[in-house]
Amino acid sequence: MTTASRSDSRRGDPARPDNRLLRLRVNGTVHSVAAPPHAILLDVLRDVLGLVGTKRGCDMGTCGCCNVLIDGRAVMSCLVLAHDAQGKDIQTIEGLAFDGPDMHPLSKAWAECGGSQCGFCTPGFIVTCHELLANEAAPSRTRIAEAISGNVCRCTGYKKILDAVELAAARIREAEPASAPAKSGGSK
Amino acid sequence: MRSDRHEKLHPHDDAVQRHGLIGKRIPLIDAQRKSTGQELYTDDLRPADCLVGKILRSPHSHAKIVSIDTRAAEAMPGVHAVLTGKEAPNSFGVLPVSQDETALAVDKVIFIGDGVAAVAADDEETALAALRLIRVEYEPLRAFLDFADSLEEVPEELRIHKKTVDGTNLHKQVRQEFGDVDGEFDRALWKKRMSFRFPGVQHAFTEPLITIAHYDADDRMTVWSAQQVPHYLHRALAKVLEMPMHKIRVIRKAVGGGFGGKSDPFPHEMVAALLSRKCRKPVRILFDREEVFYNNHGRHPSKIDVGLAIGKDKKVAALDIDALIDGGAWGSFGVVTTYYNGVLANGPYRVDNFRYRGRRIYSNRPASGAMRGHGAVNTRFAYEVLLDEAAFDLGLDPAQFRIDNALPAYTKTINEFRITTNGIVECIERACAMAGWKDKYGKMPFGRGIGIAGGFYISGSALPIHWDGIPQSTVHLKADFDGGITIHSLAAEIGQGSDTMLAQISADVLGVPIDQCRVYSDSTDTAPIDIGSYSSRVTFMAGNAVRRAAEEMRRLVIGGAADLTGYPPEVFVLEDAHAINATNREVRVPFVEALRRAMKDRGALQTTGCYSGPPPMGGQHKGAAAGLSPTYSFQAFVVELEVDLLTGKPKVHEVWAAHDCGRALNPLAVEAQIEGCVHMGLGQALCESFDYNKGNVENPNFLDYRMLSSTETPDIHAILVETYDPEGPFGAKECGEGPLLPALPAVANALHDAIGIRFYEMPITADKIWRALQKQKKAAAGSATQGAAK
Amino acid sequence: MILPPFELHQPTTVDEAIELATQLRKDGVAFDWMAGGTDVLPNYKNRLNARDHVIALGRVDELTSIGKNSIGALARIEDVARNSRVQSDWPTIAKAASLISSPPLRNLGTVGGNLLLDTRCYYFNQSEFWRDSKGYCLKADGDVCLVVPQKETCYATYSGDLAPILLVLDVELEFRGSNGARRVPLRSFFEYDGIRRFEKAPDELLVRVFVPSTDKALRTDYLKLRARDTIEYPVMGVAMGLRTKGGTVADLRVAVTGSEAVPLYYGDLGLGGATVDEATADAVQAALLDRITCYRNVPFPPGYRKAMGGEFGRKLFLDLSGKA
Ligand SMILES: Cc1cc2nc3c(=O)[nH]c(=O)nc-3n(C[C@H](O)[C@H](O)[C@H](O)COP(=O)(O)OP(=O)(O)OC[C@H]3O[C@@H](n4cnc5c(N)ncnc54)[C@H](O)[C@@H]3O)c2cc1C
Ligand code: SF4
Ligand code: FES
Ligand code: FES
Repeated sequence: MTTASRSDSRRGDPARPDNRLLRLRVNGTVHSVAAPPHAILLDVLRDVLGLVGTKRGCDMGTCGCCNVLIDGRAVMSCLVLAHDAQGKDIQTIEGLAFDGPDMHPLSKAWAECGGSQCGFCTPGFIVTCHELLANEAAPSRTRIAEAISGNVCRCTGYKKILDAVELAAARIREAEPASAPAKSGGSK
Repeated sequence: MRSDRHEKLHPHDDAVQRHGLIGKRIPLIDAQRKSTGQELYTDDLRPADCLVGKILRSPHSHAKIVSIDTRAAEAMPGVHAVLTGKEAPNSFGVLPVSQDETALAVDKVIFIGDGVAAVAADDEETALAALRLIRVEYEPLRAFLDFADSLEEVPEELRIHKKTVDGTNLHKQVRQEFGDVDGEFDRALWKKRMSFRFPGVQHAFTEPLITIAHYDADDRMTVWSAQQVPHYLHRALAKVLEMPMHKIRVIRKAVGGGFGGKSDPFPHEMVAALLSRKCRKPVRILFDREEVFYNNHGRHPSKIDVGLAIGKDKKVAALDIDALIDGGAWGSFGVVTTYYNGVLANGPYRVDNFRYRGRRIYSNRPASGAMRGHGAVNTRFAYEVLLDEAAFDLGLDPAQFRIDNALPAYTKTINEFRITTNGIVECIERACAMAGWKDKYGKMPFGRGIGIAGGFYISGSALPIHWDGIPQSTVHLKADFDGGITIHSLAAEIGQGSDTMLAQISADVLGVPIDQCRVYSDSTDTAPIDIGSYSSRVTFMAGNAVRRAAEEMRRLVIGGAADLTGYPPEVFVLEDAHAINATNREVRVPFVEALRRAMKDRGALQTTGCYSGPPPMGGQHKGAAAGLSPTYSFQAFVVELEVDLLTGKPKVHEVWAAHDCGRALNPLAVEAQIEGCVHMGLGQALCESFDYNKGNVENPNFLDYRMLSSTETPDIHAILVETYDPEGPFGAKECGEGPLLPALPAVANALHDAIGIRFYEMPITADKIWRALQKQKKAAAGSATQGAAK
Repeated sequence: MILPPFELHQPTTVDEAIELATQLRKDGVAFDWMAGGTDVLPNYKNRLNARDHVIALGRVDELTSIGKNSIGALARIEDVARNSRVQSDWPTIAKAASLISSPPLRNLGTVGGNLLLDTRCYYFNQSEFWRDSKGYCLKADGDVCLVVPQKETCYATYSGDLAPILLVLDVELEFRGSNGARRVPLRSFFEYDGIRRFEKAPDELLVRVFVPSTDKALRTDYLKLRARDTIEYPVMGVAMGLRTKGGTVADLRVAVTGSEAVPLYYGDLGLGGATVDEATADAVQAALLDRITCYRNVPFPPGYRKAMGGEFGRKLFLDLSGKA
């Protein structure tokens, strides 16, 4: 069972009278945690499970820094009750950044294209774009802009973010048919 | 023309060109940490046994504190410390001349949100509950929420601070005059005076303010804080805590955006430290977004009157600026802002007759301070809009008009700024060429328009704000047996890529791959001082410092190679991770071997490079130092937009943003700065506004404080103009702030081209445009019926 | 930001939910239903009328389905926007849904929550600290309205996007509660007051929205005004249904959101039988300007919002009649 190291609250402390046990499936691992009924998923991820890749920007559903995938869909974890996320499949940036030993094409393209400056918005954006690319193999720039319109970036002006998503989508498309007989040369 | 000057100054650049890290598109060295969620920001730290600190805030705009009773809070289980202002009355502030802030209010509160008391408790619930138990008795005072009110002479107890001008709540007043402004206005071919209004705008970085402090068993204080200038925080902590600086360590983890908004030392940083010292446990203060808005020092709300006179030669004859800016509760950078609103209008066009009055008031609102394009943005808007009007009225092409008025390179402005290289003409020409200016300006259907504006900005302040003779930037390099280069600097990486710049220059000079360099720029204990990331100074100043440190390191490593091979040091270059004899390239010593040889009998190599400032320059007049910079950046933007005639909603389609950055050390990073600037500038032009409902901030949240979203941000074409500054590292100048300046006026000028209407008030929202269009329609209908009657 | 503490109930079926609600009601305990929580949780974070018990509906899967003539109350907004049946049969519902806030919010928010959304006001949607410093208002913790100074009515703005088109389509809401089930036409559901908002017992659960079949010739559309293209609530929204016959208005239905405390259904604006031409479009505009009132409590000046209501009405009429 995971309990908080009293990092900044006793949220994960099983001795706290209003805490209830819950099981959260995060990045494929089921965690038993203790949290009060009104605990917010974002707080449990960060403060109890120590998954600090998910960021807190506004706490009010207006910036997307806290986005995680729940059952494959990007949602703002600052507007989800931890207890309501029980029984669902939660994925955070920590679980999405790597495919085994390889960096996921989104994270890789993001770094190459300059998708991050301060980087504080980045995990939320990447989570959102995982949902997008799972549904659409070749989204246009306009479509990408729409898909990320719940994510705020104050640094980049979005251009290099669009570049990154386009590049990642292209690489994923290239990689997919590669599971059929491998072409020589591979990706350029 | 450009390169001869440059080569003379930098004999090593030939070698640099060959192994070519300078000028290459290099992903930021922390990019992968960020794109995988592995980067650690201050709030991601998890010190054991950390308490939660919370601040009780004033519900009054202006009130005397009669009493504070904290007994109940102190007695509450789970509360470890309670703090009030009287316990730490030492004042601080970013500028030595405006030390007017305290950790918590001492005798009176001066805005809604001002800190009154603080607690450290086991958890957030307990801390918030404890705040509720604190009883504060206030005696409300008249609130000053308006320019006119603050200019009134008032009794002492109504003055927001002790030091004000003439018994009012005016904080600072400055004047400058050069030439014969009134005479030129009398003789002018064209002249206009207009009053412009700007609400405040906010940095709105995505990472909320956060500080963790720990006063540890060794009686040392460590403060982790989201800061652009750890050094100023370090100084302020020493003053407030009355501790020697060497017992205080400031640590800057990754910072989630700054834009000037994390460059002051802040009260909550003092509070966290004081609370921790009281209970000797780590204390974390993380702000809610609303608190960020109260604590933040945004761009000053301003009322700026500008007069422009154009002479018979169709050149700018005189510029007359009167800026009244609202500084809110504290001084912050305000004295500098007061100057910048005027003096930074002395480029990129020649002005020989110039008058400026700048006034900054205190008011009972959150403080204003430095924000991207500090002090230059609003006046720039006014000036460029009037230039556009002049060109239009005189039947001149606004782009050519600007070119005809451009300052030359290597000149002095009337207020004695030393201009070195100047790419303004190239900026205008290239932006216009790419935009298809000639085919579009004045030629598009009603509702669609194109506009142009220029800009001019400092590349670091020539003079530091603390006059103690310490260099503005120092960088240490260390090379040990593993061949890795460790770079120590206190230039703050806040997303702009300063760590990458330090690594890139080091790697370039030493001829090693960039990943052989590692940057430690996080701690005041280990890094030599640097006055931090503001004022667009880092690439220029820390860049020069690291270059010097690396060149010294190169000398030492080459010495090793010379010892090993017997060839004289002069023949060696460092390239390709080798020391190579340039006269006989067969002679190659691996970098690590040369390094180890150089370490013989002396251990790891350590070098220092610093940058103090440019040679003495500037005039003798009062305020001559304000705006003095070793070099200036220039920029010109063309904006194309369309107005939805049904709703008035403007949509910017494209921006061609040309910027003279001296030299693009890393084009990827320069573009990134330009794109970010454009986004922020368009936001101020179109939708951002920090609104008040009397003393309350009306929109302290990201729903109603509106930044342009991804779908509204246009396609931005960054155009890099390189003019090779003689003193910048490898010719570089700033690129992080200047490119914000033209965005606002280019929008307004494009709107005029689109619908024939001028706007003098920010932001230019759909409702304002729609109203103006209605008026225009009515006027047209009116004159049509009049015409019919004739 | 932490929430105020509450006890959480997580039923998995409608029956269980009603049982819980009935019990809480019997015990005299105040509670809130919570579907997606995108309205409830921000309000709770701001300490706005938070209750001691919350019944979360996230596990009640039976109400998420979209059928031939109904939409489950717990259908996610994004699912409604993307559903192919909705897109073909009720394209304007899909459009209005796609205009709600931003993608991740649409992944959380539900149709029921959207219809029953709390009203909005600058003096209300603020933190406890803010409201304390300003003075509390009628809608939460105070006794006077700060927008229209009086003590009876709250004028907070209804800001849901789906209501107008659902009013145009004349949908019915099905509720289940301790007293069984009832169906009520949406057009008679809302009650003018920013606090009460509608006629519904606290233990009544919205289960479904029934969309009656309409004449295929009824063309519909929705226009939304907001300060940015995303994230933002409507500060004016007009939905229209129009069927013409022989160059005259056979069926006209107009509804408005983002103006007053409830979404308003204006019927045919007295223009039934009018000729389909520019003059009638002008009349639509004039009639809307006559009827719409906006208050200064959400973004954009009231006069502009109202004017946009008129402009939208005119444009919709021209577009839908093919006269544009
Ligand atoms: C930043 C932001 C932007 C937004 N923008 C928009 C926008 O553009 N347009 C828009 O329309 N909305 C907007 N919203 C509001 C809201 O997100 C949506 O309306 C959403 O659809 C609400 O659904 P929900 O399930 O999350 O509601 P909840 O928060 O779960 O519930 C809302 C209300 O309905 C009640 N309720 C919910 N379901 C039931 C039920 N089945 N039976 C009885 N009562 C029930 C709840 O008790 C509560 O009073 C925005 C919200 C935020 C935070
Ligand atoms: S309209 Fe009046 S009563 Fe209603 S929320 Fe606003 S201020 Fe309060
Ligand atoms: S932190 Fe959740 S949306 Fe901003
Ligand atoms: S990179 Fe800083 S907010 Fe996006």
